[in-house]
Amino acid sequence: MDLDTDELENLMEDDDDVNVQLTSAELIEMMEEIWVNEKFAPEILPNKSEIVDCVLGQINYMERNLNTLQCTDFKKGIHQLEVDRIRYLVTSYLRQRLEKIETYVFHILKQEEQRAERGELLYLTEAEQQFAMKYKEGLKQHFENVTSFYPGLPVEDWRNQLVVPNIHSFVFLKARNNVEGVVIDTGRDDDNDVVDINPGSQMIISYNSVVDLVKNSDVHLI
Amino acid sequence: MPLQSAYYPDYYSIDDILATQERIPCKFLQDVPKLGKLNPATEETDLKSGTNLELPIWLALDISTSRQPIISPDLPKVYKEAYREILKADPCAVDLHKFGLHFYELGSYVKKFDPRGDVADILIHTFTLRFRQIMDLTDNIISDPTVVQKLDMLERNIFKSAHDSKVKLISWLMVSEVPLEAASMVINHKKRKRVDEDII
Amino acid sequence: MFGEKAYILIKELDRSRDSLPPYNTELIGEIGNEIKQLIAQNQEDAQVTEDSHAAESVSYIPTVKIRHAAIKRNVRCILAYHYNRIKCLKTMRWQFGSILPPDVKANLSASEIEWFSQYSNSLVHYMRSIGEDGINLAVDLKPPKSLYIEVRCLVDYGQFELNDGSVLLLKRNSRHYLPRNECEELIRRGVLEHVV
Repeated sequence: MDLDTDELENLMEDDDDVNVQLTSAELIEMMEEIWVNEKFAPEILPNKSEIVDCVLGQINYMERNLNTLQCTDFKKGIHQLEVDRIRYLVTSYLRQRLEKIETYVFHILKQEEQRAERGELLYLTEAEQQFAMKYKEGLKQHFENVTSFYPGLPVEDWRNQLVVPNIHSFVFLKARNNVEGVVIDTGRDDDNDVVDINPGSQMIISYNSVVDLVKNSDVHLI
Repeated sequence: MPLQSAYYPDYYSIDDILATQERIPCKFLQDVPKLGKLNPATEETDLKSGTNLELPIWLALDISTSRQPIISPDLPKVYKEAYREILKADPCAVDLHKFGLHFYELGSYVKKFDPRGDVADILIHTFTLRFRQIMDLTDNIISDPTVVQKLDMLERNIFKSAHDSKVKLISWLMVSEVPLEAASMVINHKKRKRVDEDII
Repeated sequence: MFGEKAYILIKELDRSRDSLPPYNTELIGEIGNEIKQLIAQNQEDAQVTEDSHAAESVSYIPTVKIRHAAIKRNVRCILAYHYNRIKCLKTMRWQFGSILPPDVKANLSASEIEWFSQYSNSLVHYMRSIGEDGINLAVDLKPPKSLYIEVRCLVDYGQFELNDGSVLLLKRNSRHYLPRNECEELIRRGVLEHVV
């Protein structure tokens, strides 16, 4: 996506209260990266609410600035389009996450529980967690309505058959840092190949071989 | 904005339910009282040990795996050696649809009844070679419709999504703009309404 | 063979993948009866097996196992039917908005209608909780390329007020040049058509 970042910075130059060392260009770049990662990763990734909140804050700020411009001002249209495009990034990102939450709701909530027990960082934001709980309840209620007519039914079946993401699916990635000795999971126990990843290199690989690298930003998906 | 993923059936997968309805030849190893009606060829109340019957794969899998299996499943003929030889020679020349609607899905279930692994090998061999052909097909937008009829369901789905993305790519290259469209279900809804109105 | 009716139910859903056929109460009832019958027969035969444990009589264990497999199959089909209908309803929430057309609604079961309104509510609740004053995720579905687009009106919609206060009349086959973000929703709902 081709964003005219100079123009953006003009809009935001008198923004004193955003107390970060990031330029807006860097922020948008990060937003793009987490968006693409979320889009191509088969499972849900740790939430990046700090980036999302920052971007949303900037959108609000820019829109307020835009409202001070005259309607006839040619610049207004250009800036409005930029704001719209940034908003698309955020909404598309959030939609991706919702879609995954809905599809894998039982699986994701179970993983979140385990993370909470181990004291690890949770992947869902609070709002997402709430949404997931309600979604799960709704589905359970609906299924119970359907199956309540047959007492003595073996219900354990669907409760144990969770819909899980296919973490063996293949992804394209681009490396940021140097990573040595990545074990390529071939699906078999024997003959696991090992590969070194150089900064800037691109490859196609099964997602489960690089899960950790994606999550700690050594590589990003493309 | 559906989630994109490879074919990865879960408990609720319609495709998997349809595929597991396919029947495979089985031989009963135990007497099954009262269930003679499973065998349409006889009127007896009990099903006798030694009976040969074609059972849907969902049932065959369930009752062939325990310590005291009720049946012994056999490979359907299209996965047996004679047919495997045909596929080995030139998988692209085969009308896979005639082999079975769910050739790969069924194959990946019955491959466990073939301990030597020949079925697994032939599935991969067939898919790899035919996949190339499918990709070639999508390049010719106006292709011969009879070719598509020779694909099994999995291949048809691959062909369809490959074809769709091809069309999208071309239209994007031509106008470099994605037109805003009415939602797919809204369009369908309108169409049906029109049909209903015509009837009235 | 067991599970034939359940198979028909799934086939029916398979035939209409991007629309929602009427909720098949009748067939589901019949499958329910098959399940009930299988459960009852199994309980009976399991009892017999237990009672005659010592005696070397017929074993009903294979019979019970086969019926149990059939029950599981039927349950799977019924749940898959409902699950996939929910999936379709979900897409409809995003495409039609929170109010479904009456003829679509007529095809739903009571439990599905209840599910839909609950889903709709939690979605709205979630969208309100994002950022300072919420964000509508149901718009901006495609990356915006231009500010204004040319549209053709497909129905007699009536008056439409733009954000700048001007009002225009959307008549069938009339053409307009409008701000994209203001007419995106009307395009999605099939009122306007984007002319490329």
